Amino acid sequence: MRCLECLVTSKPIFSDQRTQAALLIAPAIVIYIVFAIYPMVNVVALSFQHWNGLDANKEFVGLDNYVDIFTKDPVFWGAFHNTVIWTILSTVFPPLVGLLLALGLNQPIFGRNGLRAIFYLPVIIAPIAVATMWRWMYDPFFGLFGQVLTSLGLQAWVQDWLGNRNIALYSAFVAYLWQTVGFSMVLFLAGLQGVSKTLIEAARIDGAGRLNVFRYVTLPALKPTITVVLVLAIISSLKAFDIIYGLTGGGPAQSTQMLALWAFTQSMQIFDFGRGSAISVVLLLITLSVVIPYLRWTRKSEENEE
Amino acid sequence: MSLITSALRTGTMLGALALFTANAFAADITLWTLNFSSEASNNAMQKIASDFEAANPGTNVEIVTRGVDDHKTALRVAAGSDKGPDIFFSWAGLGLGGEYIKAGLSLPLDKYYEQYKWDDELAPAAASFSKLYPGGRQGVPFTFKGEALYFNKALFAKAGITQEPKNYDELVADAEKLKAAGIPAITFGGTVNWHLMRLMDVILESKCGAEKHDALMNMKANWKTEPCAAASFAELEKWSKNYILSPFMGIDNAQSFNLFVGGRAAMMLEGDWLVQQLAEAGNLEDYDIFPFPTGTNRLYGFAEYHYISSKSKNPDVAAKFLDYFMSTPVQQASLGQFSTTSINKNVAYKDLRPLDQKWVNIFNTYTQVYMNGDQAFPLDVTTEYFRVINEVASGNVAAADAGGQLQAFIDNRH
Repeated sequence: MRCLECLVTSKPIFSDQRTQAALLIAPAIVIYIVFAIYPMVNVVALSFQHWNGLDANKEFVGLDNYVDIFTKDPVFWGAFHNTVIWTILSTVFPPLVGLLLALGLNQPIFGRNGLRAIFYLPVIIAPIAVATMWRWMYDPFFGLFGQVLTSLGLQAWVQDWLGNRNIALYSAFVAYLWQTVGFSMVLFLAGLQGVSKTLIEAARIDGAGRLNVFRYVTLPALKPTITVVLVLAIISSLKAFDIIYGLTGGGPAQSTQMLALWAFTQSMQIFDFGRGSAISVVLLLITLSVVIPYLRWTRKSEENEE
Repeated sequence: MSLITSALRTGTMLGALALFTANAFAADITLWTLNFSSEASNNAMQKIASDFEAANPGTNVEIVTRGVDDHKTALRVAAGSDKGPDIFFSWAGLGLGGEYIKAGLSLPLDKYYEQYKWDDELAPAAASFSKLYPGGRQGVPFTFKGEALYFNKALFAKAGITQEPKNYDELVADAEKLKAAGIPAITFGGTVNWHLMRLMDVILESKCGAEKHDALMNMKANWKTEPCAAASFAELEKWSKNYILSPFMGIDNAQSFNLFVGGRAAMMLEGDWLVQQLAEAGNLEDYDIFPFPTGTNRLYGFAEYHYISSKSKNPDVAAKFLDYFMSTPVQQASLGQFSTTSINKNVAYKDLRPLDQKWVNIFNTYTQVYMNGDQAFPLDVTTEYFRVINEVASGNVAAADAGGQLQAFIDNRH
C-alpha cells in the first residue's frame, strides 16, 4: 500500500520541463552539430588551407585563398555580380507575380483550387528537372520558343537564349521565376486569409474603392507576409545553384556563373577545396547579413505579440 | 594441465598455420572503374574478372563501378586512407590521371612492362600515354580514342569538294566552299565546353606544330608571347564567325549531333565512338572521316587507362590481371565491348563496317598522338582555357588578347 502510494505521489522522472525539453531536442541538436555545424566549421577552416583532396596534409596558407579569389580569380567578381543581379530580380519578380496571382486566386472564381494547384506545381518539381525542360524549350533550333516565334513569322526574334551572354542570365531567371512563383503565391494566399473581412467591409462602406481597400487595408495586413516572402526569396536566390547548373553550367564563358555554383566548381570539379571554401565563406557571410536581421526582426515581433 | 596446455599450443599452431596458408593464397584484388553506359561493357568487364578467377584459383577480382563524379570522389577519399583499389580507372592525361600520379597514388610499372612484354602487344599510340610522366611508366591502356572529322558526303559533293583536304589551308578553303554553297561547315555544342575546345586544340596543333603545341599545353611556352597561339585564337574566331553552324553557344554536343545527322552542317569533330551513334541515327554510308589535317602526323585523341595503386598489397596479382585483360585472346573476345578498336595491336578485325575499318587504318597509321586540352592541362587551367575559348568564339574577347588572359591565369597559379 505504501509502495503504491509512493508511486502515485512521487514525482515522475524528468518532471522538470526544461529537462524534458533538453532531452527531446538533444537528438536534433546532435544531428545538427554533426551535419550542419561541423561541416560549416570545417569549411571555414578549409578556407585557410590549400588542399586538393589527394594530399595527405592540408597546408595552412592564411588568407591566400581569399586574396586569390578577390584579386586573381577571373570569374569570382563576375559570379558575385550575377549573384547580386539574381538576388535583386528574385526579390522583385517572384514576390510581385506571386502577390498578383494570390490576389487573383483569392477571388471566388471558378476552378480556383485547381488553378492554385497548377501554379504551385512547378515548386515541387526538382530544379534540375525544371532546368532540363527549359533547356529544351530554349533550344534555338528545335525549342518551343523558337518554333512558336518562327510559326508567327518572327524568326528574327529567335535568340540563342542560353548561349548569348547578354541574355543568358535573364533567360535562366525566367525559368527560375516559373518555378518559384508558386511558393510566394501560397504564402500570400495564407496571408490574405488573415486580412480582416470586417475591416474590408468597413472600408467599402466608408466609400473606399478597390485600389484604396488594397492600399490601406490589405497591404498593411500583409506586411508580415511580405517580409517573410522577401527574406525567403533573398535566401533562396543566394543559394541558386541547380537551375543554373542544369541550364547553362555557368556558361557561356562563365557569364551566368553564380557564387554558389562557382564554390561547387572550385571544390568538386577543380578540386581546389581551399578556394571553394573561401567562396562558400563569402557567400555564408552575405547570407548571414540577411538572415541575422531577419531573425532579430522575427524575435522582436514575437516579443511584441506576447 | 599439461594436456590442456599442449592442446592449446597445437590449436594455436594450427590456427596460425591456417591463417598463414589462407594469406599465402588469398589474392583479393579490387578494380575501381566506371559504371559504363553500355551494359555490354559492364558485362564484359565482369566476365573477364570471372574468367581470370577461374584460371587462377584462389584469386578474387572485385569490380566496383561508379558514376564518373562518384568515381573521382571515391579516389580522392581513398587517397587519404589505407583502403582503396588495387587497380583504378582514369583518363590518362595530366588533367585527370596525372593528378593521381603526381600525388604518388600510381605504381610505376616498368618492371611489369618488361616482365610481360606488354609493348609487344600494345598499339603504340595507346601505350604512349604511359610514358607521359617522369619516374617510370604509369598505367596500362584500357581504351584509346581517336578523334577526326566526320563529314556528310552529300553536302561535300554539293559544295563541289571532291577530295579530302591534305592540310589546314585546304580545309579552310573547303569550309569556304561550303559557306558559299550555303552550308555551315561544322557543328559544335558550346554548353559543354570540351566540345568547342576540340576545334581550338586541333587548330593549335596545325598552327604551332607538334613541339610548340606541346610546350604550350605543358605551360612551358608563353601563351601571351607565342605568335602561333594568337594565330590559333584568330583562326578559332574565324571559324566561329564564318563556318560553325550558329547559334552554337547555347546547345550541347547531343543537340549538335542531331543537327549533323539532320544534314544541317557538313562536318563534326568527333571520336571513333560516333560510328555506332551514326549507325543508330542514320545511314552510315552517308558519312566518311578524315583526320584533322594538322600536318604534324599526330593523331588527336586520348586514352583511358588502368593504374595500379601504389597502396596495393597485391601489385603482382594486379599486374597479372592487367596482363590477362590486355592479352590478345581476351581483347579479341571483348572486341567492340569497350571500344571500336582494341588497344592490342594483334587483335584481328573481321567484317568491319567501312567507317570502323577506316578507324583501324588510322590507328595503325599514326604512332604519335596529341591529346585533348582538358586532358593535357591541370583542371584549373582547363576551366580557364574553356572560358577564354568561349569568349573568343562569342566575340567578347579579341583573339589577340586571349593568349594573354590564359597566360595571366597560368602565371597566377599557386
